[in-house]
Amino acid sequence: MKATKVYKRIKRYRFIYLMLLPVVAYFLVFSYYPLALGIFNSFRQVKILGGSKFIGLENYHNIIKNPLYLRALSNSIIVGAGTFALQFLWGLTIAILLNEIKSKIVKSAIQTATFIPYLLSWAVVGGLWITILSPTGMINGFLKIIQGDSFRPIVFMSEPAFAREIMIFTGAWKGAGYYAALFLAAIVTIDQNIYEAASIDGASRWKQIIHITIPNIASTMKVVALLAAMGVLRNFDQIFMMANSSILDKVQNLLYLIYNDGIIQFKIGPATAAATLVLLATMIISFTVRRLLRYDDSYRD
Amino acid sequence: MWMKKKALANELTGPQKFFAGLVLLIIFIIMAVPMWNAFVVSTSSLLSSTQSGIKIWWDDFSLEGYGYVFKVTKLFRPFLNSFFVTTVGVIIQVILSAFAGYVLIQKDLPFKGAITSFVMLTMMIPGDLTLISVYQMNKQLHLLNSYMGLIINGLISGFSILLMRNYFTSVSYSLAESARIDGASELRIFANIYLPISKPGLATVFFMEYVSKWNSIMLPATLITDQDKYTLPLMLKAMIMQDTSTSGTAYAPQNAIMAAIIISMAPLLLIYIFAQQYLLAGMSLGAIKE
Repeated sequence: MKATKVYKRIKRYRFIYLMLLPVVAYFLVFSYYPLALGIFNSFRQVKILGGSKFIGLENYHNIIKNPLYLRALSNSIIVGAGTFALQFLWGLTIAILLNEIKSKIVKSAIQTATFIPYLLSWAVVGGLWITILSPTGMINGFLKIIQGDSFRPIVFMSEPAFAREIMIFTGAWKGAGYYAALFLAAIVTIDQNIYEAASIDGASRWKQIIHITIPNIASTMKVVALLAAMGVLRNFDQIFMMANSSILDKVQNLLYLIYNDGIIQFKIGPATAAATLVLLATMIISFTVRRLLRYDDSYRD
Repeated sequence: MWMKKKALANELTGPQKFFAGLVLLIIFIIMAVPMWNAFVVSTSSLLSSTQSGIKIWWDDFSLEGYGYVFKVTKLFRPFLNSFFVTTVGVIIQVILSAFAGYVLIQKDLPFKGAITSFVMLTMMIPGDLTLISVYQMNKQLHLLNSYMGLIINGLISGFSILLMRNYFTSVSYSLAESARIDGASELRIFANIYLPISKPGLATVFFMEYVSKWNSIMLPATLITDQDKYTLPLMLKAMIMQDTSTSGTAYAPQNAIMAAIIISMAPLLLIYIFAQQYLLAGMSLGAIKE
């Protein structure tokens, strides 16, 4: 009785299921299958000419002991955390100060200039900054004016001492406008009556910013922090575009190393094991950050 | 005196205002001047682009950088490649996301819970972390170095489906129910009731995904080795890496690199100018979702 009812309902929705079919097929082949294949291969020694065999946890063991991967992990975390901190401050500053600007033209000019880098690919942003930091680029041109005769051009992109700083700065430069737009969207929804009440009580505008604006966008800050935490080990494009052999030691990160091992050198077993570890680590990090921020609590009410 | 103080509390004090303005000016300069510099260098002669200087104004205007990019680098081919795979991919994605989003709003659809989790779970599988298997699979399917491969990998995202679902839920469900009772077919209900109301949603998916597909680097870097199939980011990388290599053979001059950068930016600037409301809408939805 119940089975025929369900069947009837399925029949009624047969067109709906048909609409879903391409999407299900796509996800099975291009999402779920690669995930399963990756986990499967991470336990195997894969040979290019066939004849791969099960080797248990050996790939994982090799990855954990491999100094290149440990270095890539610390590079990922240093550059990722540095970029997040700078981008967060930068974006927050833009959003709070823009909210104090009355002129519409000034406001939209600044918003446009800060948001456009976010839309650009790392191919564009990387190429732009590599050129600007080159010996004949804008930064050296600026130094030449300051230093006069004693000027010697600095080859910034081949200088390991600047490598991480450059990645952090360009990362924040590209992303600050995104955070600013998110913060600003949250700021404009704050109830204006709160500000009015505070100003009647004699609170200065600066005090209002500290005690009203910032606490009221705390939930957006949490979202932003969580997004950053989930992406910290997954930066590829920037390093792929901007790294070169003289600074690789300082900036080579996990995904770039996995790409090199797996795609360029066909070490499929170790590379998939590393990718699986990064997937696990990303899940653990995002879970931890959720807990630390009490992320889910803030959405309960 | 008291009145004056009260009026002042709506804005910053004089010195604070000055300081705020100064900080914003510095930020504006840091953000805008590099892009302006790219434009100036791209329209400067080779000689002036190789001399050191700040270059925020022309001392020798010339379009030879653009000429180099089209004659020597042959950037037109990668530009067309990017344009083709991005446009085709996004159109298919919008259609399929609308289909799947419509499925997810059906009330009492059998297995709806399972279907929803099936879609949501794909958002937890980052494509960048399954890259090596994606490569192997594309090799088996003979999709390496093909336009088909560039289009079909990353074709649909759980995010675009959820975005469409959110737009569809704003349509009154009883409207669809009564049309159904009147005997309208599912296709008609979908096409005549839901799609017209959800145009902003379709536009949001279109422009968000256009930007992300146009900017895609990792997938083409994995799938494409044949220069004829290079997309713009791959070509840019090839130009830049030649420049930083020490071999010195046929490196691209700086005005040509900047010209290629300006050309790569152009479609995104157009989207920003004409469709920024959709980008902002999609972006804030994306941040709320996860």
